[in-house]
Amino acid sequence: MRRIVYLAAGVVVIGGVAAWFMASAQPLESSALNGLEPGDAARGEQVFWAGGCVSCHSRTNAQGDEQLELAGGLAIKSDFGTFVAPNISPHPEDGIGSWSDMDFANAMLRGVSPEGRHYYPAFPYTSYARMSEQDVVDLFAFMKTLPPVEGDAGEHDLPFPFSVRAGVGLWKMLYFSDNPVVALGDDVDPAIARGQYLVEGPGHCGECHSPRGFGGGTDTSRWLAGGPAMAGDGRVPNITPSSDGIGSWSADDIAYYLESGFTPDFDSAGGEMAKVVRNMAKLPAEDRDAIAAYLKAIPPHP
Amino acid sequence: MKKLFASVIVLMLAGGSASAQDDPVKSRQALMDAAAGAAGIAIPMLRGEMEYHPAVAKAAIATFYGVSRSAHVFFPEGSAGETKAAPRIWEDPEGFQAAFAKFEETATAAFEAAGEDGPPDLKAFQQAVAPVLDNCGTCHENYRLE
Repeated sequence: MRRIVYLAAGVVVIGGVAAWFMASAQPLESSALNGLEPGDAARGEQVFWAGGCVSCHSRTNAQGDEQLELAGGLAIKSDFGTFVAPNISPHPEDGIGSWSDMDFANAMLRGVSPEGRHYYPAFPYTSYARMSEQDVVDLFAFMKTLPPVEGDAGEHDLPFPFSVRAGVGLWKMLYFSDNPVVALGDDVDPAIARGQYLVEGPGHCGECHSPRGFGGGTDTSRWLAGGPAMAGDGRVPNITPSSDGIGSWSADDIAYYLESGFTPDFDSAGGEMAKVVRNMAKLPAEDRDAIAAYLKAIPPHP
Repeated sequence: MKKLFASVIVLMLAGGSASAQDDPVKSRQALMDAAAGAAGIAIPMLRGEMEYHPAVAKAAIATFYGVSRSAHVFFPEGSAGETKAAPRIWEDPEGFQAAFAKFEETATAAFEAAGEDGPPDLKAFQQAVAPVLDNCGTCHENYRLE
């Protein structure tokens, strides 16, 4: 009898340790940033626009240079509760001004805070994880040149059980991957490969344009096939090259849309996508062409 | 050619009928379609995909001008329905009217610059119409759902 009790206690302890380990944050190796060039703010600015940081982290309706004040505050209402985008300006207390490159890389590539806590995947590190370390360090160099903004943006408002951050560790076990989504083969055209990097990584297009399965993970079997909008009503369009998607658009149509917001029918993008277009318009033309080439190359879905 | 465009515009903008007021959603959608149609000749000319013609350019500008002065009246309270009109139109009416005022201001300037015969060359057209086209995205960003 006593043996059974010991055994049971042992199972509980081992199970608990395993669960704790799975749920605990997994930061980068301490050598992850070795051998990189020092962060380059000019290159980082391109990454900044590709990453669409301002869409959530600048104040609502910020125009022009006001967009560079990353005060946070946008409330993202989801099925799991309301997430509040934090202050990521270089303010030393209220923003991320006291972070090291490693702190920033752990946030972007692993979804882990400097204190070793999980971030909720409303912050799209699930895509940013596919970025290169160099891009991340360059991005941080640029962000440190932006104006520091005082003030905390506020806390998330999440019901139980989503309020338990350890749950995010289990969620990551199921859904977090830094592997490419679409297999394009080794001899892929360099423009398509660049487009894949931009779309699947910093651009985080799949976060809205791919449907989500049970538990909120991205359904990569229907990659970019659209689905119900996470926030509010309505649907996010299918952007695969099918007849339900944008199969009738030429690569040039897609690139021009990303630059101007005008569709081939001369409708003009609205809502969230209008913000995305404003960011995409700041990229070099080759990058918009690369995104277009990738979107023509991926599997079509109905 | 010129006359044809002129009469098309007059037909498009012949507002004030009973049906226009009975169905504001349809009316504003028709006006936005007119603006999209104007963009559909303006943008290909700007991009060199269509040969530049001053009268065609004038038709596009005149259409924007007419839409900018009329469409805002077709957004009465409670007319969102199942459309893509964002609730913010009615939550922030001053902002919405200001966005339309900007559209009207840029379109008026373009209309005046176009003169009787339209902008003489592509460069003049570009200068006149680019600030007008900017309104599409900025207004839709805040006041249209997608």
